[in-house]
Amino acid sequence: MSQNLETAGPPTVEITVAGKSIKAREGETIIHALWQAGLGHEIQTGCVGGVCGACTVTLRFKDGRRGGTDLACLRPVEEGMEVFPFPVDALAGPPPVSDPDADKLRAVFPTVDRCTKCDNCTVACPMDIPVMDSVLRMQKGQFEEVAEDFTTCIHCGLCRAVCEDKVLPHTMGLWVRRSLGRSVDHPALDQTQETTMSDQAEQEWEHLLNCDDKERLQRAKAFRAE
Amino acid sequence: MNWAKASLDKVERTRAERRDQSVPSISDDDAQNLIKEYHPDYVGNERKIHVGPNADSDPFPMELADLLESDSPVPKDFQPTADIETDVLILGGGGAGVTAALGLADSGLTVHLATKLRLGDANTVMAEGGIQAALGVDDSSRRHFADSYVGGHGKNDTGLLRHLCEEGPAGIRWLTHLGTLFDQNEDGTFRFRKGGGTSTPRVLACRDYTGLEIMRVLKNAVMSSATHVLEHHAAVELTDDGKDRVTGAVLWNTQTGKLVTVSARAVVLATGGSGQLRLQGYPTSNHLGATGDGLILAYRQGCSLVFPGSHQYHPSGSSYPEALVGQLVTESIRSAGAQILNMNGERFIDEMTFRDVVAAAIIREVMAGRGIETPTGRRGVWLDTPLIEQTKGEGTLVKQFPGLIHRFKRYGIDPTTQPLLIYPTLHYQNGGIRIDTECRTERTGLWAAGEVTGGIHGTNRLMGNSLLDIIVFGRRVSESVQQNCPERGAVTLSRLNQYRDALSGLPHKPKTTAPQLYPRVSGMKFELKGIPKPEAGTDVSSSGDVKSFEPPDPFASR
Repeated sequence: MSQNLETAGPPTVEITVAGKSIKAREGETIIHALWQAGLGHEIQTGCVGGVCGACTVTLRFKDGRRGGTDLACLRPVEEGMEVFPFPVDALAGPPPVSDPDADKLRAVFPTVDRCTKCDNCTVACPMDIPVMDSVLRMQKGQFEEVAEDFTTCIHCGLCRAVCEDKVLPHTMGLWVRRSLGRSVDHPALDQTQETTMSDQAEQEWEHLLNCDDKERLQRAKAFRAE
Repeated sequence: MNWAKASLDKVERTRAERRDQSVPSISDDDAQNLIKEYHPDYVGNERKIHVGPNADSDPFPMELADLLESDSPVPKDFQPTADIETDVLILGGGGAGVTAALGLADSGLTVHLATKLRLGDANTVMAEGGIQAALGVDDSSRRHFADSYVGGHGKNDTGLLRHLCEEGPAGIRWLTHLGTLFDQNEDGTFRFRKGGGTSTPRVLACRDYTGLEIMRVLKNAVMSSATHVLEHHAAVELTDDGKDRVTGAVLWNTQTGKLVTVSARAVVLATGGSGQLRLQGYPTSNHLGATGDGLILAYRQGCSLVFPGSHQYHPSGSSYPEALVGQLVTESIRSAGAQILNMNGERFIDEMTFRDVVAAAIIREVMAGRGIETPTGRRGVWLDTPLIEQTKGEGTLVKQFPGLIHRFKRYGIDPTTQPLLIYPTLHYQNGGIRIDTECRTERTGLWAAGEVTGGIHGTNRLMGNSLLDIIVFGRRVSESVQQNCPERGAVTLSRLNQYRDALSGLPHKPKTTAPQLYPRVSGMKFELKGIPKPEAGTDVSSSGDVKSFEPPDPFASR
């Protein structure tokens, strides 16, 4: 595929998006092709950088290649590609808790044990997260690993949308992360508050602020060099 | 990348020698000259505008000047009548807007948050490198101030900057209470990274997904609050009481094409930046909606703009492959040790000095013919990412920069073995609406926070100060609104009508309407559908009855 990207020129590829046929340049993404065709509104778009999860689509190829799901802002066009908008609405989850464990998770996500290990969620994930394995880890309360698994989750919702058993993988993933985050102590945060109130701090502010702009720039330069 | 083989070979050959090389140093004077000669802020086309508070004073980038001298898309015969009444209307669904909403959650005030795209589809989610806060043992808010002040060329508003630096630790505490996870050392203490121009490591991160981590936590939290979220509602005009006060906004429902008027006691502008104006044809790292809408709306109400000509061109925008052009390659990759090289495999700038200096140096190198040209005619310099694998150990990139690896992998590029081609990309709006330390604009009833404001960062922002800005000032604006919330006023377009009169006195006729709402390259634009009869928007807030649209299963036949 990377070979094709090294030549750019006039539109040579034909794809269909929501049933509309458009011409596209090899190497460009589905979103950029839509823009060129004046059809930007066809697919809901957000960051155009693969991190907001707005532009979820399903794909199909007439020649029998497997299509599946992807983000239209990152997926390069290919000849004969059929694109279908597949927006997934955000879902509010239950509030995080302190010191989470498997029981606490089950209490708010009773569907966690319904997973039938079909692995659709993993296949659907555009971020290559091992979603199904992580759901199994959630069942066992292995939350440090779960938090790591979902570090790169953009909450596009695809894993949830394709789950026939109403397991809510990414919603649980965020609940685990937020619950762990709330449970961590950070002594540094409290120590800093004390030093901010000190006499020395006041003197330093006085030194940095109580002068004209030109002098302040010099003082700031000296201060950061200390 | 066979088209660049000769140059890549030089990069390979010089790597061992460069590994322990000292940093190319640059004096303050040379840095200033470099910026003046090559930075797009200084060499780009600008002009003065002739209406509003900044008339005939500061120079504006052409693209922004044209928009400020443009008419509103709201039809001239449109009579606003309140379709929604609320206490606080927040415009913008990124980090600043959502933080403000969370700050108001227990205030007893009714809060509506309107956003052009979906909740969280904003520049915040795209921020990679981190968030600054003076939490280190040898660090202080004064040091943070000094670094930011020097980086901002001493143009920063000292009151705003002091507040930013002093409230940094409290902002981080608030985020961790919400459940934000920042990278830690083995012993459980925060891991701080160095950012360009920080005199000590001060940047907290969640790998190279810091903005994503913060935004998904904020979004999750606000969806469980009583905030009424209006997605797909773009603000196209502010309303006023016919005298001196902002009283609401006219929104455009992007899905139905209809106008919706909101009456509010307080309006908070958190509409973000303007990278998608693509000044001087530069690519951008910004999201679809970053078209400076808030600047236009506030300006028509009589709010002045500070440093309207100051923008940040991030040194490391991707320049190849074509599909990723303009997208951010985080500064922390340089913090981790990646060097910037010209076509001959030579370093030419201290990679960790201030962003505007690094960007100017890259532009100089390319203009001098020492850049690399892609098959599509784009130019850039190398970012030697494989060097990190040698100096910091194999696997460092995968562990610390999963986003970078993931994004380039699908284009057949592996940053662990192959340098990336970079060129400055339009990244951040340094200037913006003038505010005081209470986030009040010059108009009663109108507050502003986040990238839409100006003054905090002077004319050049440090890495990690924008994520801190939206948290600290998002919280600040929620406090100020609670303390100073005015009574409800009439909803009129008298300010707009005055502005229209002023526009009609200009020698040239506006070519377009503003706010622009979408990048021109997208072909998307404002369009009213049917009779412009207002219709209340869809409330996607979660107060008990979440509507979830589950599309059909694409794997049914798998």
